[in-house]
Amino acid sequence: MANIIETAKGAGCFSTLLTAVEVAGLTAALESPGPFTVFAPVDEAFAALPPGTVQTLVDNTPQLARILKYHVLAGAYSRAQLIDQPEWASLEGAPVAIRRAEPFEVKNATVLTADIACDNGIVHVINRVILPG
Amino acid sequence: MTAPASPAASETLTPLIPPSQHRWAEVIHRLEAGGSMLPDTPENLMQIIGIYKAYAVPMDFYWRDLLYIAERVFLNPLPAFKYFPSQEYLDLPNSYAGDQSRLRIWRGGEKAHPELLEFMAKGETGQMSKLLHHLWHDRINMEFAEACMQAMLWHQGMGGRFYDYLESDTYRANADRAIKAYFKGNPAMLALYKLFPEMFMEQVKQMSYYANLGLFWEVMAPVFFEMSDIYDEGGFKGVPDAMNFLVNGIFAVAGRPIYHHVYVGDECIEVIPKSEGFTWLYEAALPYVEAVFYRTAPFRGTKSYNAQAYQVPNDQADFHSGILYADVFPVGSAGIPPTLLMQDMLHFLPPYLVALYKQHKRGDADVLIQLGITFQRSMYNVTSAVIQALRCALLYPLDDTDPEHLLANRRFFEAQMDRFLRPEARLGAIQSQAYR
Repeated sequence: MANIIETAKGAGCFSTLLTAVEVAGLTAALESPGPFTVFAPVDEAFAALPPGTVQTLVDNTPQLARILKYHVLAGAYSRAQLIDQPEWASLEGAPVAIRRAEPFEVKNATVLTADIACDNGIVHVINRVILPG
Repeated sequence: MTAPASPAASETLTPLIPPSQHRWAEVIHRLEAGGSMLPDTPENLMQIIGIYKAYAVPMDFYWRDLLYIAERVFLNPLPAFKYFPSQEYLDLPNSYAGDQSRLRIWRGGEKAHPELLEFMAKGETGQMSKLLHHLWHDRINMEFAEACMQAMLWHQGMGGRFYDYLESDTYRANADRAIKAYFKGNPAMLALYKLFPEMFMEQVKQMSYYANLGLFWEVMAPVFFEMSDIYDEGGFKGVPDAMNFLVNGIFAVAGRPIYHHVYVGDECIEVIPKSEGFTWLYEAALPYVEAVFYRTAPFRGTKSYNAQAYQVPNDQADFHSGILYADVFPVGSAGIPPTLLMQDMLHFLPPYLVALYKQHKRGDADVLIQLGITFQRSMYNVTSAVIQALRCALLYPLDDTDPEHLLANRRFFEAQMDRFLRPEARLGAIQSQAYR
């Protein structure tokens, strides 16, 4: 099986996310044994943010890392496990809410594909960048 | 005879969720349609843009001086010259304006605005030395900026991680380094620090809020200048356009770092390093809106407050002395922070607002009140932008077709409008153009 980074590269729809992870210096962490649960926004999710949003974050890596860490949980959790608990602590510190089981929704994002198993965790593909608050 | 509507057409017109029963349902429905709390009228657009311009000029001074105080004046025990930012700070390139900016969304130049420099040289009286202008109080009222900073310092706990960090051991160690470096070679102050360490820590925390607010306003000044330029070019069609411009601006700089650096000579001490990951949106903008637009504190001097008779709320979160609640008339007294801002804005009003105020009420005689109410309208629009930005970041698009999503948006808007149920709120007043 591939790790989280290899899986994302193979999928072909996460180029912005992968660039952001690289710039923020989180690639090595996501290649480590983990395990992690990653809510991975597709490229369209980043493109939907107003102009300048991504650029400001990319220019300021600690701030970018903080937003990215909000998309990661410590531990590998499947959809079935996630929907059992209303909130999960993200690596950023703020809780990530599971809003709905059917369709599966994480905060204000809808999960497009759930439960992609990787060597070091589980990836759930989401249609929006999620933000703390 | 009109043809009956086709079934398809009537289906698309059926709202997906029932109308709100909230007291401010009309405003909620407007927000759900992509509007602002402020009604979309040409006069409202003219008023708010004009006042953004008049606000941006003193703001260009506020942010520069706030950073000057946080970074250079720092713990000076007798800061008699803290309102005299050095030339370096007047020339400090704005991170979000000018050609050196990495994010070139707003046009303006990077240095202090020409209208500000002209006012600083001449004031209301005429050309004289800076010190005489200062002593005659013919200057930018920096006390207003400090009152806003103090509101943020005092209320705290309004989201974000800034205040928690100020309580952390890391921060205390950084502050300790800054205090010792600043008072190096000053045994009297170092002895005082040994005796009263918490007093010094508290002062450093306050300095960190100076930096926080300075970095917040550094962004808002070019945004407001740009809005004025766009309006002058005929670019905004209505109030929602102006609001959406602000929403986009909020997103564009949401990730801007909030930090506090202190300079002792050439040495830079990072009291709050950028690497802490604090952001403009979470650690500055949202706490600012809460502390300054909603809460602040009752203004001493206008009225005596009896806390035992519950004239002052028990809970800080219930404070409601911000501009969204202010009765602008009694506020218009000497020494009251909003009055200081009104006087600052008076110096930079665009001609179309001067003409408007002459036509209404007592003309020149009550222009401070009239522009104060314009400012109130404009801040309802800024608050609308913040509400829409939060909805956009945390909830769902306005054209979402999932009724559950629309209901979540509805609950959010209603919760925001609950804050305007108290009688002091001016939301009702600004719905009418007669409120001046």
